[in-house]
Amino acid sequence: MDAILTSIEMLGTTLIVPMAILGMVWGIFGGALPGISPAITMALLLPFTYTMDPIPALVLLTSTYVGAEYGGSIPAILIRTPGTNASAATMIDGYEMKKQGRAGEALGISLQASSVGNFVGIFCVILFTAPLSQLALAFKPTTYFALGILGLSVIVSVSEGSIFKGIIAALIGLMIATIGTDPVTGVGRFTYGNADLLTGVPIILVMVGLFAVGEILEQIATKTDWSTVSDHVTRLKWPSWQVQKDTAKSNLIGSVIGVFCGIMPGAGGTVASFMSYSEARRFSKTPEKFGKGSEEGVAAPECANNADAGVGLIPLLSFGIPASNSTSVLLGGFLIHGLVPGPVLFNKDPTLLYGLFTGLLVASVALIPAAYMTLSASIWLVNRPKRYLFAFIAALVFSGAYSINNSAFDLGLVLAAGILGFGMRFFGMPMLPIILSLVLGYMIEANYRRSLVISGGDNAIFLEDPIAVAFFILSALFLAGSLVREFRERRGNKVKAGAAA
Amino acid sequence: MLVSKRSLLCAGLAAAALVAVGSANAQDKIAYPHKVVTLVTHSSAGGGSDVFLRDMTGYLKKIIDADFVVENVTGGSGAKAMAHMAKQKPDGSVFYATTPTYIYTSHMSELSADYTALEPLVNVFYDPEVIYTRADAPFKTLADVVAKAKSERSAWGAANPGSLERVTLEKLKKLTGVNAAIVTSEGGGETMVNVLNGTLDIAIGELQELRSQLEGKQVRVLAVLSEKPLPQLVGVPTAKEGGVDLVVQKFRGLASPKGLSAEAAKAWDAAIPRLLADPEYKAKYEAAGLVPAFMPHSEAVTFTSKFADEQKAILTEVGITKKK
Repeated sequence: MDAILTSIEMLGTTLIVPMAILGMVWGIFGGALPGISPAITMALLLPFTYTMDPIPALVLLTSTYVGAEYGGSIPAILIRTPGTNASAATMIDGYEMKKQGRAGEALGISLQASSVGNFVGIFCVILFTAPLSQLALAFKPTTYFALGILGLSVIVSVSEGSIFKGIIAALIGLMIATIGTDPVTGVGRFTYGNADLLTGVPIILVMVGLFAVGEILEQIATKTDWSTVSDHVTRLKWPSWQVQKDTAKSNLIGSVIGVFCGIMPGAGGTVASFMSYSEARRFSKTPEKFGKGSEEGVAAPECANNADAGVGLIPLLSFGIPASNSTSVLLGGFLIHGLVPGPVLFNKDPTLLYGLFTGLLVASVALIPAAYMTLSASIWLVNRPKRYLFAFIAALVFSGAYSINNSAFDLGLVLAAGILGFGMRFFGMPMLPIILSLVLGYMIEANYRRSLVISGGDNAIFLEDPIAVAFFILSALFLAGSLVREFRERRGNKVKAGAAA
Repeated sequence: MLVSKRSLLCAGLAAAALVAVGSANAQDKIAYPHKVVTLVTHSSAGGGSDVFLRDMTGYLKKIIDADFVVENVTGGSGAKAMAHMAKQKPDGSVFYATTPTYIYTSHMSELSADYTALEPLVNVFYDPEVIYTRADAPFKTLADVVAKAKSERSAWGAANPGSLERVTLEKLKKLTGVNAAIVTSEGGGETMVNVLNGTLDIAIGELQELRSQLEGKQVRVLAVLSEKPLPQLVGVPTAKEGGVDLVVQKFRGLASPKGLSAEAAKAWDAAIPRLLADPEYKAKYEAAGLVPAFMPHSEAVTFTSKFADEQKAILTEVGITKKK
């Protein structure tokens, strides 16, 4: 009760409300700009927080974090370029809906699902930080390896119909993931003396190149009516009661998977969003709509990555351990104010925690009006004639990629990824498996090798970890299930084709 | 939007620097050949060296007659920052925040500009390294850990594969002749989780990384890897006292592009002792677990080149890098 009163009092006496709204709007912008990750969006604000009081500073940073996780879905839906890694899964059905002239609807669904995810995530942090933090400790290198495999088992589901091509795409992603510093010896590999490659190929740049630049190249290469406007709806459309009912199940799936992945330091929203996309499809009444503009396909990953973002605060608040790049920046924000997050800090100074939670709740509520303000303008923007639109996207993408590190090398990377993307489109290869394997490749390799270092080369170590075993069994089941479904669908199509003939 | 982000950042840095300065006594200040001094770090905002620079510059402004700007040149574990520094003038207008990382990066990879392109200016601190374990672990001393590793295969953790910490554990293994797997990760977070859940028997880390877990009594420090025991850790012996001759000097200092102007070096040699004596700053860095370790320019140069040679030898000896 005291906590609630303190929180309400703080709403009036501190700068929580303006900071939450400011952070949310800034976060949406940063997340929406292709190439700027949530962590960078937050890092850009850090210098401004030096002179603030701790609570408004932390509220500003966490709201930015939550806003950026949402913002990534905007370009995913509107221009087929995910703004964040986690929003790649949203793109599949989101962009299909946009092509069908339902951009406003898709954005509305993603907004609603993100809000659900936000609230689920924040309530988990408020209510269950203590028990969930114990779960976070159960994850060993063996567990992370198994989790990576579980993530990869989703590939069939996101291969858009061609398993073989999907596997090739995944292998390309795994190969790109080996560039950089060797996870066990620390020596550079496949870097060819290039300092820019030592930290690996940034996934966000590959994504921007594959999708945005690839799309631009394809538009140039194909005969297009450059003056047409794809659709005329320029308003955000909040999902109707019926749509909300239809997507409720996806939101539930997204929340559960998002919370689960959020607890594990390092697993991240990408795994959560891809897995919930796959699971939402499995449990859907209309799985055939997935990949062709399914509302559930937009809701599930969006809900998952926002729930993941919220719950990702648990390892930071309970142990002082940052779970992701974004939470590392947040840790920096604590340290700047001489605060060391962890069990003692919040016992010693609970008002700080209440302030942070109140700020997060305010930010989650503020998400909806903030999105209404920015989205209609965004929809209008992408409905300009194509020649302006693509020139604008090219300018946005390249200036974004350059501005992160002021590096011309990054521009080259984006361009190379764009050519790869164009080639893959030409051969009809699905691109999501690349993103998935690029995100998971390092995690799988590093943790496999670490496990073997611990066991002295004995693979039996994986069987000694019950959670890892459970993940392996789940992966096998998922894989078998997806394969069976694919073959059934294909046979069904053939039968239909035969009947039609 | 995008273009202005960078200028916004700069404006923010400038504002932060201004506020941190407070009132200063102009007559006392050491004259300096430049109005603005840029301090480059490979840390991102909020990272170790970034916090070191930003904390320090607030107090430095009271001592040196110049303004300080922190610039983050991230990427490649210092490789990009070194390449950036190699292109700057050695006139005292720009310095790089050093830690053993830049030496390691130079040794581990082929680079266009490595540590030899830089000239150490001064050293300021040591970051004390400690060996720790989880609070309810059966080990009470370093000797217990070694005894266990002698009888069965153990796992010890270090945050990064190509780092001073990793090599220090390899050295410990060699000195004690035990069979331990050295498990690395990316950054300290994962290592901490694996110490807490018992996957790792012990791990090595900087004292300041462990503040939260020490306060929360989740971990216990078994040994300090410095010459003297630390005032922050009463009753914890050094490794030497525990019978293992292992001392780590994780330095924090500054370096200039090669050919540093003598005038600038003289100013810094005079400024750093005054900086370290500032009572307000002292309280701050002691709380953060840093040990003052001032070395003037001439000493920093010899120390760094000796350190680099030693590390190169050890890296080859334990088989991380090949002999060239």
